[in-house]
Amino acid sequence: MNRILIPVALATFVGGLTVLAFSQRPWAPRQDVEQPIPFSHRIHAGVNKIPCQYCHEYARRSQTSGVPPVQRCVGCHGDALVGGLQPVTRPWTDHAQPPFEIRWNRVYTLPDFVKFTHQPHIWAGVACQECHGPVETMDRVEPVHEINMGFCLSCHEKRGATQDCFVCHH
Amino acid sequence: MSEGLSRRSFLKIASAAGAAAAIPGCEPVGRELIPYVVPDENVIPGVPSFYATVCSECSAGCGVIARVREGRVIKLEGNPKDPISLGRLCARGQAALQGLYNPDRLAHPFVRRDDGRLRRVSWDVATRELLGRLETAAKAGKDRVAYLARPQGPTFDKVAKTWLSAWNSTKAVFWEPLARPVARQAAQECFGRSDVPVYHLDQAEALISFGADFNETWESPVEMARQYAAFRAPKERRGKLSIGRSAYVGPRMNVTAAKCDEWIAVKPGHEAAIAMSVLYVLVRQGWVSPNSGFDIGTLKSFVQGYEPDTISQQTGVPAEAIVRMGQMFGQAEGAVALAGTDDKETHVAAFILNAVTGNLGKTVVFLEDAPASPYSPQADVDGLIQAMSQKQLDVLVVSGVNPVYSMPPAAKFNDALRQVPLVVWCGLVPDETAEHAHLLLPVHHPLEAWRDIAPRAGVNGIGQPVMQPVFESRDLGDLMLTTARAASADSKTVPWESMADAVNASFQAIQKQIGDKNKPEDFFAQALRDGGVYAEAKAVEVKFNASVFQNKPKPPGAGPDLALAVYPHLFLYDGRGADKPWLQETPEPVDQIVWDSWASVHPETAKTLGISSEEVIEIQTDQGMAALPALITEHVRPGVIAVPLGQGHSAYGRYAKGRGVNGFSLLAPGALSATVKVRATGAKGQLVTPLFSEDMMGRNIVEAMSIEDLARGVAPEREKAPGPYEMYSAFKYPTHKWGMTIDVNACVGCSACVAACYAENNLAFVGKDGVASGRIMSWMRIERYAPPKDQADKAPLLYITPMLCQQCSHAPCEPVCPVFAAYHTQEGINGQNYNRCVGTRYCENNCPYKVRRFNWYKPEWPAPLHLQLNPDVTVRGAGVMEKCTFCIQRIVYAEINAKTENRPLRDGETVPACAQTCPTNAITFGDQNDPQSEMMRRRKDNELRAYRVLNAEFNTLPSITYLRELYHEKGRA
Repeated sequence: MNRILIPVALATFVGGLTVLAFSQRPWAPRQDVEQPIPFSHRIHAGVNKIPCQYCHEYARRSQTSGVPPVQRCVGCHGDALVGGLQPVTRPWTDHAQPPFEIRWNRVYTLPDFVKFTHQPHIWAGVACQECHGPVETMDRVEPVHEINMGFCLSCHEKRGATQDCFVCHH
Repeated sequence: MSEGLSRRSFLKIASAAGAAAAIPGCEPVGRELIPYVVPDENVIPGVPSFYATVCSECSAGCGVIARVREGRVIKLEGNPKDPISLGRLCARGQAALQGLYNPDRLAHPFVRRDDGRLRRVSWDVATRELLGRLETAAKAGKDRVAYLARPQGPTFDKVAKTWLSAWNSTKAVFWEPLARPVARQAAQECFGRSDVPVYHLDQAEALISFGADFNETWESPVEMARQYAAFRAPKERRGKLSIGRSAYVGPRMNVTAAKCDEWIAVKPGHEAAIAMSVLYVLVRQGWVSPNSGFDIGTLKSFVQGYEPDTISQQTGVPAEAIVRMGQMFGQAEGAVALAGTDDKETHVAAFILNAVTGNLGKTVVFLEDAPASPYSPQADVDGLIQAMSQKQLDVLVVSGVNPVYSMPPAAKFNDALRQVPLVVWCGLVPDETAEHAHLLLPVHHPLEAWRDIAPRAGVNGIGQPVMQPVFESRDLGDLMLTTARAASADSKTVPWESMADAVNASFQAIQKQIGDKNKPEDFFAQALRDGGVYAEAKAVEVKFNASVFQNKPKPPGAGPDLALAVYPHLFLYDGRGADKPWLQETPEPVDQIVWDSWASVHPETAKTLGISSEEVIEIQTDQGMAALPALITEHVRPGVIAVPLGQGHSAYGRYAKGRGVNGFSLLAPGALSATVKVRATGAKGQLVTPLFSEDMMGRNIVEAMSIEDLARGVAPEREKAPGPYEMYSAFKYPTHKWGMTIDVNACVGCSACVAACYAENNLAFVGKDGVASGRIMSWMRIERYAPPKDQADKAPLLYITPMLCQQCSHAPCEPVCPVFAAYHTQEGINGQNYNRCVGTRYCENNCPYKVRRFNWYKPEWPAPLHLQLNPDVTVRGAGVMEKCTFCIQRIVYAEINAKTENRPLRDGETVPACAQTCPTNAITFGDQNDPQSEMMRRRKDNELRAYRVLNAEFNTLPSITYLRELYHEKGRA
């Protein structure tokens, strides 16, 4: 009995481990990420041609590109604009309400051991779309490329950028 | 399993569950992105902000710059504009963060119930309770409320006094255990001044320290270490290349003594006699400066009876040593004597030595408008205890001190405390005093609050809050101001609304005083940016009070057969550092013990008393008894048992509680030594050290050469590395090749670099058991070796060196890694890819320097200690090897900034944490490809002293070049 059960159990365990390890890449870009409000990149970046860094303002100065503060939304969607972001603008007109926060859901994540930073990529003239795809055509952002080390390195190789592990992994 | 769950599905579930459990650390990090509603215009997420503030760990008053990421402070560095720290910080300053984020900090106000247990209350309830009791006390009569605290800056102390006056009281007592009042008493006696002078060791050629641990805990360690390094640096003095000559007189060879030319081992209490005897030599040899205005006759009669021979007989110190010190001191152009003992006589004698050699105003300078002592006289402390025990107090507020732990037993503070109906404890981590308190209030850490400091004339630092409070704490100053305002009808008696207001007002007064013409808000904003207002203080001429010579100190006598010498621990100091794991885990540089207290016993004494190594001994003084393991070492005088302060806590958080003994419990008031009886118990204790060996076994781990050889231009002969055995073609370094030059002669072993490395690189602490198993995680350490006995004449007292990854160009660690986790970067660093490492530990095994560290445990930082973690550095998990990276995250940060500004990286723009914090600038970092870099110039300028560790043995081609320690050859001028 044991002669069959033990190898089978072992094989199932190792197999399960392998399948899980390959299927569950928690930091892989996620498809179908729902957002709390129906925000459209197509209308903002595509139709209205708002530059990416108008909202993602930290990209050229920091590791993170930054999610725009609610204040930035209100800058355009003030209460003078009909049909603006009602739930967003209300706290600005109605002081009795607590400050409104939008809890966006992440589309791109990197693990802790990757110290990616946007800043040098912007200054090297890499277009946002090269990694993030044609966001200006998407109503809801979905990843086009899987941001893994192969993806990074293929571009670094092409552009003659550093391929030193230590630059990102430290 | 028979019902509904087949074997197949069971195995499926089991394997899935097992697999899920087998890949920990893969849980996705936060899946949500929450933007600011209104962004702070000074905060860019991902980019650090820097705030100038002050360090409150000791009374030295260093200015610091706090690096803040996403609203939390992650690192402290010295403020380069501050004249005391000059941009550097000691280990205790670095570890202040662990006081801020300590997981055992009181999180809410608590009230002690009648059954002795604590009940959590809201701030409203706590404040109301306090107010009610204060009002009753104020009505009951005068001085029924008292305040016992450490001085926390002139404004804070003023606020405390104002607060007391609202309750009809003047009983403000400013106290801390190691305040050394005798130094001020001696200054009063000799010069009629209540302040202590500032010292300029760098202006001296000779130095004698009578028990002053100036590189460790005495007065202002960062500044003193910097000056001492300048004093010991080789330079032309009177046409000859030389280094300063120094001697340390004291019972234990601590790291200060180890960096001197001579350690004169004396019994505690004999320092004054030695100082007097040195004075005798000066007077007899006619080395009294003619300009000093002393009457030789008076001096002669004053030193009568202190002939070196007589003193030698009484103290056991060789007469030649005393004569030698006299010669060194008297013939020097610029000399300085320091005193750090608990008796006034030594301090007076040191002042006399400085005065008769004409060094007042030169190496020892009194400043105009020096702030008065922030401490209350001892009579006030005694008066407070008396009032407490006679039930004359209704409310006692304790802040920043731990008297139950650090008052000597004879003061009977504990008994007195029980007579106080309401003890209000205001602090961070609840300590022994908090155990006796009725109302416990969590107050802000100094990094969360407004403070100012005035450590000396001309230096006024501002301590601004650098982040939002971590816990539900309030600032004690604010609390005092609001309660005082609630009590007094008109706002004139309490002119400030908050501490911020009060500090601002103080700086407006300073502005007026210095006659600054800017708008007050501009002046304050500038002061905030600079960390304070710094002005040149004028030196003042002092007259020596000749009446000192009428009180001749008593001859020393032989002293007790067995004496106890208690000394402040370099890191734990008077016990306040014991709650910080970085300080507990950094080995004391000479004895190299961690997480414990130990009794240093000389081998001869151990033989007489029958003590074996690490045996628990019972120490009995007339004040108390303690049992602790003995460390048998020659770094203590025979007949002396030396015990560090700092441990022996029965409270004070998980890191402090229940380890070692409390040295204060053995001492009489005001004393740091005692007559002692010792009994060996036969029980075996365990002292833990990460040190392998005292002996370098003939290898060149630390090298030294005599200053005489350096002056002659003779470098010691070295073995040449065999070879070349190049198996592979040499690496190319197209841009930078990072390297370091470490001046071992400048290193004083203070271990600030070690603490800075812990802070910068998210190093885990492993506790006593972890260190005992050889699992300490420090990337950098202070190594110390003793010279072999037969070579002691041609060696420094101890070899002390910082040891870290040598970033070899022929690295033994790299080729053995089966997965290329250890690899050579294009900039010459031995990189370590944590995410690639599978933990074979081949690299560690192959490293001749033993600087690679393996994560045996999943590192843990109990919340909120984890808030200190540097987000730019990966937190390594269990099973991963890690090592020094030359602070690659700081290099990358600077490189990206340079690239953004489209310019080459400037020399000095990248500084690793260790080099940044080194008080003596022993560590210089730079590009080996750039011969003009400061690091390479330092190498070239000191070519005769340069060596590379173990290069001759292994041909590893390290990127770190050390500069040899310098010493005076004994018996050669």
